[in-house]
Amino acid sequence: MITFDQVTKVFGTKTVLDNQSFDIADGEFLVLVGPSGSGKTTILKMLNRLIDLTEGRIMIDGTQQNQLDFRQLRLSMGYVLQQIALFPNLTVAENIALIPKMKGWDKEKIATRTAELLDKVGLPAADYLNRYPKDLSGGEQQRVGIVRAIIGEPKFLLMDEPFSALDPITREQLQALTKDLHAEFGMTTIFVTHDVREALELADRIAVLNQGKIVQLASPEEILQAPADDFVAELFGGVAHD
Amino acid sequence: MTKLLTTFQDRFADWVTALIQHLQISLMALLVAILIAVPLAILLSKSKRLAEASLQVTGVFQTIPSLALLGLFIPFMGIGTLPAVVALVIYALFPIMQNTITALDSIDPSLIEAGTAFGMTKWERLKTFEIPISLPIIMSGIRTSAVMVIGTATLASLIGAGGLGAFIMLGIDRNNSSLILIGALSSALLAVLFNALIKLLEKAQLRTIVASFAIMVLGLFATYAPAFVKSSESKTETIVIAGKLGAEPEILINMYKELIEKETDIKVKLEPSFGKTSFLYEALKSGDIDIYPEFTGTVTGSLLTNPPQLSNDPEEVFEVAHDGILEQDNLVLLEPMAYQNTYALAVTREFAEENKLTKISDLLAIQDKLVAGFSLEFNDRADGYPGLQELYGLNFTVNTMEPALRYQAIQTGDVNLIDAYSTDSQIKQYDLVVLEDDRQLFPPYQGAPLMRAELLEKYPELEGVLNKLAGQITESQMSEMNYQVDVEGKSAQEVAHNYLLEAGLVN
Repeated sequence: MITFDQVTKVFGTKTVLDNQSFDIADGEFLVLVGPSGSGKTTILKMLNRLIDLTEGRIMIDGTQQNQLDFRQLRLSMGYVLQQIALFPNLTVAENIALIPKMKGWDKEKIATRTAELLDKVGLPAADYLNRYPKDLSGGEQQRVGIVRAIIGEPKFLLMDEPFSALDPITREQLQALTKDLHAEFGMTTIFVTHDVREALELADRIAVLNQGKIVQLASPEEILQAPADDFVAELFGGVAHD
Repeated sequence: MTKLLTTFQDRFADWVTALIQHLQISLMALLVAILIAVPLAILLSKSKRLAEASLQVTGVFQTIPSLALLGLFIPFMGIGTLPAVVALVIYALFPIMQNTITALDSIDPSLIEAGTAFGMTKWERLKTFEIPISLPIIMSGIRTSAVMVIGTATLASLIGAGGLGAFIMLGIDRNNSSLILIGALSSALLAVLFNALIKLLEKAQLRTIVASFAIMVLGLFATYAPAFVKSSESKTETIVIAGKLGAEPEILINMYKELIEKETDIKVKLEPSFGKTSFLYEALKSGDIDIYPEFTGTVTGSLLTNPPQLSNDPEEVFEVAHDGILEQDNLVLLEPMAYQNTYALAVTREFAEENKLTKISDLLAIQDKLVAGFSLEFNDRADGYPGLQELYGLNFTVNTMEPALRYQAIQTGDVNLIDAYSTDSQIKQYDLVVLEDDRQLFPPYQGAPLMRAELLEKYPELEGVLNKLAGQITESQMSEMNYQVDVEGKSAQEVAHNYLLEAGLVN
């Protein structure tokens, strides 16, 4: 379980996250949604300490997060970026093998798992293993990005607007894929988006952020039926009237 | 063109040696520069300010004229390969550092974010993607440096490090454009070749690049290996005799070598055209070389830090030179040879006749239309142009230039008066008129072997052997021998041997 305990983040004079406390349950799919600058990406990057908090504390399974070993913490959290960020000098197989290698897996295990997962995300391993990122479409690249993030069997998966640069059809396919993978592996997933439809589609719970505060943290149904305030109502208004 | 080819054939062995030296110096400098610049750039790339500052510093290094840098190093490092390599390293740093910093700086930040989020350390990020992605740009910096180093390495010959520049220097000195072309073309071709090779590597895999560097390092050490073997084998009885630029010193040191090797068991290694007076003097004191021929007048005029009163009696000058240099540097000047190679002022025959010039004081009447081409040394020495001004009251326009270029300048009419040495072959070759020094400004210049006192203690037999030349060789003989080497293209060794035969010093 992850617990945010009165967490504040200040950049210079700007408070991007203001004294927030909430829990994320094991196996939960939590979507952070809100306009840009609302603090959703900050929450995500605080989890794997790409950003350090200013005040408060984050507890992970009962241990204060910033007491944990950096590498152990990061290896326990898969990370998928909007920019995908496959390493252009490495093949698909080499990109995927990075984290297992850091975990000390043997070659055979890496090869087997890579092949299984590539097949699972719809990229036949035989065709894709030795290709370079530049030879893949955006959707294919992000499928590899997801495999790279989950192959190490992380307890948590952090996804930072992973599909916002993709076309609508690919986006829907990858949303479905993400849902399937979550159902199969059950890793706690924290997913950032500014797309409310995507949030409703994927989330167990949605955290709606505005100006550094979580204005509502609830299931999609609750949010649609009983928005906490006008901001939430307006944000999800377009969807409710579909 | 034929002349170029025959010169090349004649000098092929020298050319191979020079090429290897040139490669050794260039590659060593390039390698050291890479080993310094790349890690330094990686370390500094994290901080924009430090990176900027270091680029500023290395950038300033590059603006120091290479000749000045070499000159500045002599007091610390002496002469030879070390200062040459150090100077080249300093030039090579900037392009490599700049490109490495630029390359690392331009890596997509999302890749760095991904690497960090996966738990990679700085070093893991560097080797996994930062360096591989930066490699083409780093390699192109190395390429720029390589081309520059190979070109600049021609200056290494000025401080006795050899290389293809030796051909260029010798060519300028002997007014032999074939030699200059051989030196310049070889170094240019080498630069083009390296440019192409490194360009190929820019697109290669990291593994190929590492392998190429390993081969380069191995190759470099392989070329040094024979030198190590040789030096451990023959260290015992080998002495090094060097000479200044030009035919005359080369002829003399060939005589020394032949006499010493014939009369004693000592082996002699020659370093002809080693450099200018100050290089040889420093090299002798530091023990890089053992003997070189020097002039009595140069000892009194340039080497002694408290120059004595100028005298015009050859014997007196020798005594003063001998005693002075022994006391000052513990160097021994042996007995001089007969000929005087003193300074002289020369004009073309046509110009002399036109203006009725026979002696230096005749110049006073026409000093408004004089344009002199003097060597830097002559222009600065008390017994050179300043002496002309003081003793003769002369005052005219002076252009300073490399000694060897003066003869070309007076031929083309760019200047109408030059300083010369009285045994220069070119006086005969170009039919110049030497003006009489009617007020005895120029002190006597007699050649004699100069060596460290310790060397003479170790090999006392050297004195007797070298003194066989004392009082020998007249001015016309020396001038004739210079002519044979400079103009007729005979080898200095052959000319030296013929003289020793005729003089009955060898059989």
